[in-house]
Amino acid sequence: MTDIPPMAHVELRDASRWYGNVVAVNAITCTLAPGITGLLGPNGAGKSTVLHMVAGLLAPSAGEVLIDGESTAGNPGIYRKLGLVPEREAVQPFLTGFEFVRMNAKLQNLPNPDDAARRAIALVDLESAMNRKVGGYSKGMRQRVKIAGALVHDPSILLLDEPFNGMDPRQRLHMMEMLHAMASRGCTVLISSHILEELNDLAASVLVMVAGRLAASGHFREIRKLMTNRPHTFTLKSTDDRKLAAELISEPSVQSVDLEKGGLAIRTSDRGVFTRALPRRARGAGISIHELLPTDESLESVFNYLVKK
Amino acid sequence: MSKISGPINLTVAGLTFRQLFTRNRFVATALFAIVPMIIALIFRATPHAFDPTGDHFLPKMFADIVAFVLLPLSAVVFGTAAFGGEIDDGTIVYLLVKTLPRWQVVLSKFAVAVLSTALMMTVAVLLPWIALGAHAEQFAIVSAYATAIALGAALYCAIFVTLGLVSKRALVLGLLYIVVLEITVSPNVAGLKSLSVREYVMTVVGKLAEGKPEIHAGAVSMNTVWTMSGIILFASLALGIRWLSNYEMAERV
Repeated sequence: MTDIPPMAHVELRDASRWYGNVVAVNAITCTLAPGITGLLGPNGAGKSTVLHMVAGLLAPSAGEVLIDGESTAGNPGIYRKLGLVPEREAVQPFLTGFEFVRMNAKLQNLPNPDDAARRAIALVDLESAMNRKVGGYSKGMRQRVKIAGALVHDPSILLLDEPFNGMDPRQRLHMMEMLHAMASRGCTVLISSHILEELNDLAASVLVMVAGRLAASGHFREIRKLMTNRPHTFTLKSTDDRKLAAELISEPSVQSVDLEKGGLAIRTSDRGVFTRALPRRARGAGISIHELLPTDESLESVFNYLVKK
Repeated sequence: MSKISGPINLTVAGLTFRQLFTRNRFVATALFAIVPMIIALIFRATPHAFDPTGDHFLPKMFADIVAFVLLPLSAVVFGTAAFGGEIDDGTIVYLLVKTLPRWQVVLSKFAVAVLSTALMMTVAVLLPWIALGAHAEQFAIVSAYATAIALGAALYCAIFVTLGLVSKRALVLGLLYIVVLEITVSPNVAGLKSLSVREYVMTVVGKLAEGKPEIHAGAVSMNTVWTMSGIILFASLALGIRWLSNYEMAERV
């Protein structure tokens, strides 16, 4: 963990993967440079498939996945420079944390597996529990021991599939510091998540996946701006829906107002401006608002908006 | 350094050994190992004027209980579990994302399954012999069975380790194989005896304990034993290695 790993570049060229008639990943092209890249998308978007293709555990059905110009599929040589933290929690429950990490070190043919295991365990702050059986670990501890196992051989590429599941805020902070330190030493880190805020302060660059396609890519702040500035829809109930509809239709931030059986359906181009204008307009017209509900706040609708855009 | 001795990786072997000997599996297979001793103790407690030292009883029990039932059962338990659990829970990924060749993973797990089965079945033939007084003149039969059972363990485990890799219902399929082919069909259909591992075991016992009148050798020749053993070992392990080499961690979509 003291040596600086040689930098590695990951490249996906029109990489697709399908299972029978189901397309899991559709013609993705991107390059991952040293540093932290976030892979964002709802569940089932194909994030794990991309990670598994980069890790050489899945061959692309079409296109190429390359590490430093070498194909990853069926190429065990890549595992000298690659570490993978899978999403599934399972770790051999009969092993202690130390035994699990040492097993990884031995399988990587490290010259001193015991020392390498101790260093990796110290990095994830798990020394106090390293002699306990993994079967008795909490979810967060299992995540940390998996990460220790993946970085025991000092990889120059680290792939993490939803690594923050089960971690408490202190552990997340510690993990972020560790990943930043690895990135600053030239490590290429690809971290998947379905929660945008998890990547805040962590990934400078974000790839957004929806339904197997690369929907957007760019700096974290740009992606976040795209997501918050999208049109929003609300349902609203008031003392006089018809009068409020007439009032709101002249509001610049409102794109459309539909008078429906249970109230109003409002579509707005700017959520912030609308939520500030609504109480002012309602008060001015002498109308009381009983209920205001956003209708499209699910992650899927946010990602789908990005795809359409 | 990862200890490598020939085709076996000791780290994978050690991990497999601990996987196979979980408490429940150990209790189940230990029961297999002590059943013949319990039968021998019952035999000893019953007066037998025609066979006071068990000269006829022991070989018959080894053939009918150990080779016929317990050996394939132990092999199916150990063989199908060598990979089965890891593929089901996804922990196989920790072996796959390593520079370790996948054929070495298969051979290491196969070796541990064979050793575990052979060890338990050796105990299964030694304990009743000891329970009946450990007569030196019976040792040739005991050692013949222990040797032949090691061959049987290797053949069964080659089949069941591969079955554990290729099927999620390996235990059920393995039990079906034992009940249908080994217990029901091959003893009763002369043409199928050359497909029965039990017959190979009995033929090897007959060869090693030649001249002992109480031994009933298998119905196939030694040539058949070697030829079929080679085919079973090679075909099963080659299929297992090929399967693991092409194994992909598919995400459910």
